[in-house]
Amino acid sequence: MVTAMALIVQLALNTLQAGSVYVLFALGLTLIFGVMGVVNFAHGQFFTLGALLTSVLVPALREAFGMGVALAFTFASAISIVAVLALAAVVYQFGFRHYLRDTVGSFILSVGLLLFLEGVFLWVFGGVPRVVPNIAPGELRVFGAAIELQRLVVFGIAVIITVLLYLMLAFTRFGRAIRATAEDAGAATLQGIRDKRTLLYGFMVGSFLSAASGCLTAPIAVITPAVGNDYLIKGFITIIIGGLGSVPGAIFGGLTIALIESVVGYYVDGTMATIGMFCVVALLLLIRPQGMLGHVQH
Amino acid sequence: MKVKLGLRFCVIGGALSMSLLSCPAMAEDVLKFGVSSPMSGAAANWGIGCDWVGQKAVKYINDHGGVRVGGKTYKVQLTTYDNGYTAAGGAQSAQAMISRDGVRYIVQSLGTAPVQATQSLSERAGVILLTTAWGKSIKGPKFPLTFTNSNTPYEIFEPLFSVVRSQHPDIKSVALLNPNDSTGQQAEAQSKEVWAKLGVKVVSSSFYERGTTEFQSIATKLANSKADAVDLGGSAPGDAGSVFKELSVQGWNGVKLYPAGTGSDTLVKVGGKSVEGVYMGQAADFSGATATALQRDLDTQAKHVLHEPLNILQMGVWDGMMALKAGIEKADSIDPRVIAKALPTTTVETSYGPVGYGGKSTYGTPQQLLVPVIITQIQNGNTVEIRRVKSTDVNGS
Repeated sequence: MVTAMALIVQLALNTLQAGSVYVLFALGLTLIFGVMGVVNFAHGQFFTLGALLTSVLVPALREAFGMGVALAFTFASAISIVAVLALAAVVYQFGFRHYLRDTVGSFILSVGLLLFLEGVFLWVFGGVPRVVPNIAPGELRVFGAAIELQRLVVFGIAVIITVLLYLMLAFTRFGRAIRATAEDAGAATLQGIRDKRTLLYGFMVGSFLSAASGCLTAPIAVITPAVGNDYLIKGFITIIIGGLGSVPGAIFGGLTIALIESVVGYYVDGTMATIGMFCVVALLLLIRPQGMLGHVQH
Repeated sequence: MKVKLGLRFCVIGGALSMSLLSCPAMAEDVLKFGVSSPMSGAAANWGIGCDWVGQKAVKYINDHGGVRVGGKTYKVQLTTYDNGYTAAGGAQSAQAMISRDGVRYIVQSLGTAPVQATQSLSERAGVILLTTAWGKSIKGPKFPLTFTNSNTPYEIFEPLFSVVRSQHPDIKSVALLNPNDSTGQQAEAQSKEVWAKLGVKVVSSSFYERGTTEFQSIATKLANSKADAVDLGGSAPGDAGSVFKELSVQGWNGVKLYPAGTGSDTLVKVGGKSVEGVYMGQAADFSGATATALQRDLDTQAKHVLHEPLNILQMGVWDGMMALKAGIEKADSIDPRVIAKALPTTTVETSYGPVGYGGKSTYGTPQQLLVPVIITQIQNGNTVEIRRVKSTDVNGS
């Protein structure tokens, strides 16, 4: 039988790696909600586009320029993120800008976008599952547990982006403007913070996080036009657990659902892990609807 | 002047109406066939391939004299409807096919959940339904209009597991993993039964939700069960490849089975070296020497157009079209209920050659088209046929 230590380490590695991507995805979602008061169901499609473009561009760049996988992945991700940001800018300018802090209107708009973009991606990219070659061949073995090196790379990049985001929000003028707008848009405007520009940039940062998490998922998952749906559901579960609009809450929530997925998935099965997540959400909505680290909205 | 103009319009309108009225005479000579398959989502490539094969079959039938009934010749027309591989999608596509578009012959429906949803309408509406779904519960005397075009766990698992056991007599235990839907649940039940018959103990049985992207913990559970073999039942090809890859990372190296394996291409693409040696029951190499000339030709064309080889489910559309053509001509009727009575005793010119219906001992009525069970293994990244089992259970025996 596998040792208890090996099992604990394996489950911990599974949790941290999967959780890092959930956190990144959810940070974008919660940021957009916090700043704009908009629940963006199309967030999963930005993720999907990032993943799809990366999975298409990596082999294309390798063939065209003879690049190694890691370098091709870096360039592919950069191009994919730029493409997603361009889409996000269009979506904001012609869509969400007119439904700021309008929960119902933005909900309808984002659901429509979700369906439209899913159809477009299927038409453009086709339904054939895509795979990105291993960006860091090999495995790390520690205390009897094992994890692919490329998953560690993904984890590392996700952590770096999360830390940079935290530093930006905490210590930069732009970050303070976002936090102020999220807390009280009127008061922020009175302080000289340009509301419209802050909202746009906040949306773009959120979309960047979604695209980045999509690019990071490309090497470790099978990519189809439907890949974002699973992450969207988990993203919403994460921000409900952590608290809508709360950055620490997104981190807490992302790691929580990864832990449930790992532990319940191991001791029971994947289906019960999914049910477990929804049970936690239902319970939280009853006893603490603002989430574990969210604030009561008056 | 106004009266003359009005008269002119009436004449023109009448002429147009007459020309439109003459179209039904053309419409009456066309049999509308339907396909219900996932055209979106994770299994979209299956559905897209089904549609392509269906259109090829339509062209073949129409180019070779159509369908002859009562001295009259009918052309066929095929439309594919997206069922999204879900029950809700199946219900939606059934409504569109049957209620809206008047389709009376469904030549292919993929996925047990969508098929069950379709059946709730098709059986009542008197529509004949051919499927490739794996569920046992979709056939039987309660569903006289439903038939299956390709093999299911009840035809595949016994020969597949027997071959594996004979090649690996040391297998004492197996761990199962299936998607949590009708397909997976019924595959799991049949797996347990057949493994028990062969004296192999099922040490673990788990389910996962379709659409899952993280398989690490699932693989940890399978690896830690210390089973001699892992049976991935009705999983999707991408999922199976991910699981085998994770199993390899976590150091498990036993006997690998993927009974529902249809997309060996995707399996190899996702799993790489970790899928070497995987046994499959639903895959075929339609470019190989054991394929028929027709299958090789379709496969070659498919690779050019779809950028991937055909699988057994997709080839099932061709077989379904030919089965319906044969059934209609044998019944000498376009009434689905009359056709359904004739089909069990009809010999069909399938892509594999002439094949009949059977499965009475399993389903209660002979509703299973008994195409060969093809057992394959991934060897050096290629799908290699290792055994072909023909069923002797033909025409209800």
